[in-house]
Amino acid sequence: MQKSDEELYRLMRKGNQDAFAQLYERREPALYRFALHMSGSPAVAEEVSNEVFVQLMGPTTRFDETRGTLESFLYGIARNLVRAIRRLGPVAEPVDRPFRHDILGELITNETTAALHRTLREMPERYRDVIVLCDLEERSYEDVARLIGRPVGTVRSRLHRARALLSAKLKRLNAPSEVFSK
Amino acid sequence: MSCGELTNDLVELARRGAEPDAALRAHLLRCARCGERWEAERDLTSQLRIIRERAAALGSPQSQRQALMRDFARIHRRPPVRMAQPGFPKWIWAMGAAAALLLAIFAGQVLGKHSIRRVPTRAVHNRGIRTDRTVLYEASASYDDQSDIDDSVFLSGSSGFPNGSGGFPDNEAVALSNDGFITVPYSPPLAPGEMVRVVHTDLYPESLASMGVEVDPAWTGELPADVAVGEDGLPRAVRITGNGQNY
Repeated sequence: MQKSDEELYRLMRKGNQDAFAQLYERREPALYRFALHMSGSPAVAEEVSNEVFVQLMGPTTRFDETRGTLESFLYGIARNLVRAIRRLGPVAEPVDRPFRHDILGELITNETTAALHRTLREMPERYRDVIVLCDLEERSYEDVARLIGRPVGTVRSRLHRARALLSAKLKRLNAPSEVFSK
Repeated sequence: MSCGELTNDLVELARRGAEPDAALRAHLLRCARCGERWEAERDLTSQLRIIRERAAALGSPQSQRQALMRDFARIHRRPPVRMAQPGFPKWIWAMGAAAALLLAIFAGQVLGKHSIRRVPTRAVHNRGIRTDRTVLYEASASYDDQSDIDDSVFLSGSSGFPNGSGGFPDNEAVALSNDGFITVPYSPPLAPGEMVRVVHTDLYPESLASMGVEVDPAWTGELPADVAVGEDGLPRAVRITGNGQNY
C-alpha cells in the first residue's frame, strides 16, 4: 500500500532517504510545472522546485500536519518562492524556448501560446493560481480549494473569471488574422 | 434559463471537452453572445491543452535530483559509533593528567629556584693552576656576595686595601693566617689583579728574620717553607711547612 505524503515526511525526517526520494518523485514534477506556468521560465521552475525540497529537508521546516496537507505546504513554498523571484524583476527567459524548432504552423501556435503565457503572467495571482492548478494541472475544484485554502465556490468563480479574461485576450490576438483573411 | 446561468455550464463543458446537449445547442444558435463565448471557451481549452502537453515534456534535470539526494545523505549522516575504551574509566585518566600537571609545576618551581640561586649576579672567575713545585693562584675581582667559593684558599689582589697587614687586605690576611701563612711586614701592596705565586723553598732562619718574620731561636737549619711572591718578585707571606715547624 502506498504511503501518504505525511507518512513519507515523517520517515524522511528520521533520515530515511528512500522516503525522501519517493516524495520527490511524487511531487517534484507537478511543482516544477506549477512554477513554470506561474513564472514562465524553466530556469526559475528548476530553481523553485529544487528550493522547495531543500527547505523541506532543512532543520527549520515548519510543516504541521494539523494545519494542512504536505502537498498544500509544498505548493505554498513554491508560490512564495515564485512571488519572491518575480518581485526581483521580470523573468527574461521565455517558456516556449524549447519549441523554436517548429515549422510555420507551430510558430503561429507558439505565438498564440506565448501570448497566452504573457497574459497568464500579467494576471492577478489569485486568477493565475486557479488557471494553473485547475486547467493546466487538471486538479479538481476540491483539490485546488485545499491547496490554496479557499472554498470550492471561490475557486470555481475565480476560474470562470480568469477564463473570461484569457478568452478576451485570445480574441483580441486572433482579430488581426481574421481581418487579414477577409 | 438565462444566459448568465448557461455560461457556467458552457465553461464546464468546454473544460471537459464535452458537447452541449440539444437544448443548449439551440440556445447557442439563437444567442450570438453565448455562441461567441462558447467558441472562445473551446479555443481557450485547446490552447491550454497545448501548453499542458508541452509542459509535461519539461522537467528538472536528473542532476538536480542527484544533488538533492547527496545533500540529504550528508545532512542525515550519522556520526560513527565509537567503541567503548577498555581499561580505566575516564575520570581516572583525568585525575592522572591533573596529578602529572601539578607535579610538573612543582618541579619547575623547585628547579627554577635552584637555578636562580646558582646564577650569580656578577660572574666569578677563579682559576688555580698547580705545577710541580709551584701553585699559581689567580683571582679576579669578585662582586658576588652570594658566592659559595671559599676565599680562604685564594690570594686575591685588589686595589685600595690598607697596608697594615703586609701586602694583603685585612680579610685576606686573616685568611692567610688561618692557612698558616705569616704576612711579611712592610711589603708593598699587591696591584689590582696581580697574580701571586706560592713558592715551595727552604729558608734559613736568617732569611726569615730579614723579612721581618719573628724567628724562634731553636731554629738552626734550613726550613721548608711556602713563600707567597708577587709579580714583582717580592715576598708577601711565608708559611713554615714540614718538620721545620718544630724547630
